[in-house]
Amino acid sequence: MENKRSREAEPSKLRMFLTSDLFKGLLPFIGLIVIVVVMNILTEGSILKPKRIRLLLSQVYYPMIVCTGVFFVMTLGSIDFTEGSTLGVASIVVSMLSFYSVPLAILGGILTGAAIGALNGFFHVKFKLQSFIVTICTMYLFRGVCAYMTTETAIPASPAIKALDSNELKIAITVVVLLVAFFLFKFTRIGNNVKAVGAGETAARFSGVRTDRVKFLAFVAAGALTGLAAFVNVIKVGSITATAGNQLETQILISLVLGGLPITGGAKVRFSNIVVGTLMYTVLNNGLVMLGFESAMQQLIKGIIFLIFVALTIDRKALKVIK
Amino acid sequence: MEKKTLLVASHIDKRFGLTHAVNDVSITIAAGEIRALIGENGSGKSTFCQMLCGIYSIGGGTFTLDGNELHITNQVEANNAGVAIIVQEMGTLSGLTVAENIFLGHEDPFVHHGIKDTRAMNREAQRLLDEYGFGRIHAAQMIDHYNFEDRKLVEIVKATYMKPKILIVDETTTALSQNGRLELYKIMDKTRADGRSVIFISHDLGEVLEHSDTITILRDGEYIDTVKASDVTEDDLKRLMVGREIGSTYYRTDYGTPVSDEVVLSVENVSVPGEIENISFELHRGEILGFGGLSECGMHEVGKAIFGASWDRTGRVKLSDGTEINDIPTAIKHSIAYASKDRDNESIILNESIRNNIVLPSLDDLANHKILNGRKLTNFARTHAENMQTKMQNVHQYVSDLSGGNKQKAVLARWMGKDSDILVLDSPTRGIDVKVKQAIYALMGELRKKGKSIIMISEEIPELLGMSDRILILKDGKINGEFLRSEQLSEEELIAKMV
Repeated sequence: MENKRSREAEPSKLRMFLTSDLFKGLLPFIGLIVIVVVMNILTEGSILKPKRIRLLLSQVYYPMIVCTGVFFVMTLGSIDFTEGSTLGVASIVVSMLSFYSVPLAILGGILTGAAIGALNGFFHVKFKLQSFIVTICTMYLFRGVCAYMTTETAIPASPAIKALDSNELKIAITVVVLLVAFFLFKFTRIGNNVKAVGAGETAARFSGVRTDRVKFLAFVAAGALTGLAAFVNVIKVGSITATAGNQLETQILISLVLGGLPITGGAKVRFSNIVVGTLMYTVLNNGLVMLGFESAMQQLIKGIIFLIFVALTIDRKALKVIK
Repeated sequence: MEKKTLLVASHIDKRFGLTHAVNDVSITIAAGEIRALIGENGSGKSTFCQMLCGIYSIGGGTFTLDGNELHITNQVEANNAGVAIIVQEMGTLSGLTVAENIFLGHEDPFVHHGIKDTRAMNREAQRLLDEYGFGRIHAAQMIDHYNFEDRKLVEIVKATYMKPKILIVDETTTALSQNGRLELYKIMDKTRADGRSVIFISHDLGEVLEHSDTITILRDGEYIDTVKASDVTEDDLKRLMVGREIGSTYYRTDYGTPVSDEVVLSVENVSVPGEIENISFELHRGEILGFGGLSECGMHEVGKAIFGASWDRTGRVKLSDGTEINDIPTAIKHSIAYASKDRDNESIILNESIRNNIVLPSLDDLANHKILNGRKLTNFARTHAENMQTKMQNVHQYVSDLSGGNKQKAVLARWMGKDSDILVLDSPTRGIDVKVKQAIYALMGELRKKGKSIIMISEEIPELLGMSDRILILKDGKINGEFLRSEQLSEEELIAKMV
């Protein structure tokens, strides 16, 4: 019977609103405004000074590009923990190739990322391993590669590539990535199929969706975009050490969840989750630094906020193990 | 002679948000009575029973059993008070043994000083199983070892061994084969003979008339009437349930209409290990081909095999133009549609909107140079959902909010949208009320006239007889009989080939 699902006998209006999809959809925006306002008050207005805003933005580009790729993986209801190590390895490739030619370096970065994504996708799809397990394994693998390559000394990039460091270029790359991804997600069959697999894989398969292919491509896209982000990272930092991209995967995961993406993926995913989430994370992170919290305390606060958001945004009807 | 009153339900009420699921229902059940509770999907019959056995809290009113008012908050308390339920869905727990399942929540007699005496529990469970005539089920074995039907039998033992005063059977028979049903009827009769009572919920009106004493009809949560089974016919019941006359055109009425010789699909030596063996047949243009058999006979796999959804299939499924169907995307591209028996998992994405479900197989057709237009998709979905008269607020509503019948309408709407020529419908009217059933039969008749071909896999024999141009009966994964449409064809002839 259709009634079984709503177990509350007479829910109060407030409760109904708090559990409504409208509220869940608005929550990230409300959260972003609240965090900006609170941080602005606590830092006595300094977070909204033009200089600060420029600094904030310079930290947004590459996580936002990475988020865009991982967005597709998480829409599937899967998870990808390899971004940090992929970024590290791809940055090394970009740096090394940058001495030959910049376009070659960009291409090399993207291909390296795509290859790692393909490896993840292959193990996830062909061996039916949960993405969670696969990507934790590959995370360690490529973190190891990254550490090995940088044991002797940090790997420098060519002056030519460092000369490219400008906000205009980074903004342009980020905007193009977002637009292309938005178009794919909203106006093509592949975007619709990714969402359908996230909402119900078996039924999607019976509707003619080539689920294995869709899943594989999502992981490749996540890898390739991380590879592109590696280029943006290299022009900013100039040389690569063993810790390049460290903890990036958790930053991405937290950003997307803060942006309102349900960890179960599926139908309630919104493209705005990427933008809102990355902005929120960056403001939060900077605010905590400016307020002078120690890094241990910063982690603790971020952890608490993350937990609250997961609890508020998760789609309980669809709750199952993360694929 | 007036029988002793066992259960009095007085002014029972329940709301879920805005839905008034049970509206002021009062009934009285005598000792030694089998009372059927019927109504369409959403009429409140299951909700009523689930309040009685503590699954839901009571919204309003009182239940009085044997003179004592019930204050039940969970199922164990209900069991102790003398109320037990056998539910529609899977009610046993994986990972436990048969014995542990039977005594779930009632382990105390086997626990001494905090330690469970597994052997005593198994011995007692085995004694019960033997007593019920289910000796082939072993008490110490894990429940996962047994199939759906045997698990249902274990559940029956679990619900009835303590001899409840009221036994609720909630649409259990749809999960059982003919044999299992007979066992269940025996237990119901025995309960009645002991002076205890049964509340029997079923969509199968034939079964209701045959096995109950009195019948209470609910509609939209309200009490309509209580009648004696001996005083009414199936048509009377349908009228009471729906609230208007159901036309005589329930099934097809034509006989002897010729079927085209044109073959649209041929299946050659198709086998799926453990499911079906060497199945070959041809489907003609404008034909409704019925598949029947016992629930484990492999007929459900035939549907999947045609649709390219079987793992490990051998043999060939070929269209008239020679195209071979080996995977789902190819099947859909070549105008084959499939509605699974497992509607909620395979036919439709529950946690997605009606719109996105309907457009999913048609995205390529709707795209303009590979670009999709949101408004076009919405209009497409709305047109087809409305054509099927799906009861919904709008197409953006989630499928999980729909009743079983309306989910099935959404499933059919998507294939109508795809304009498929070959429809494979597995148990198309499973768990669906008469009104929607009638609509689905009418649709099948129309499609047939338009020259579309339908494969209907069904566990309902009357449905096979009433709708099919030809019936194939499967037994142990092989075709065991073929019947052409005829007024003289009887249920017995079909059953003889099934068992």
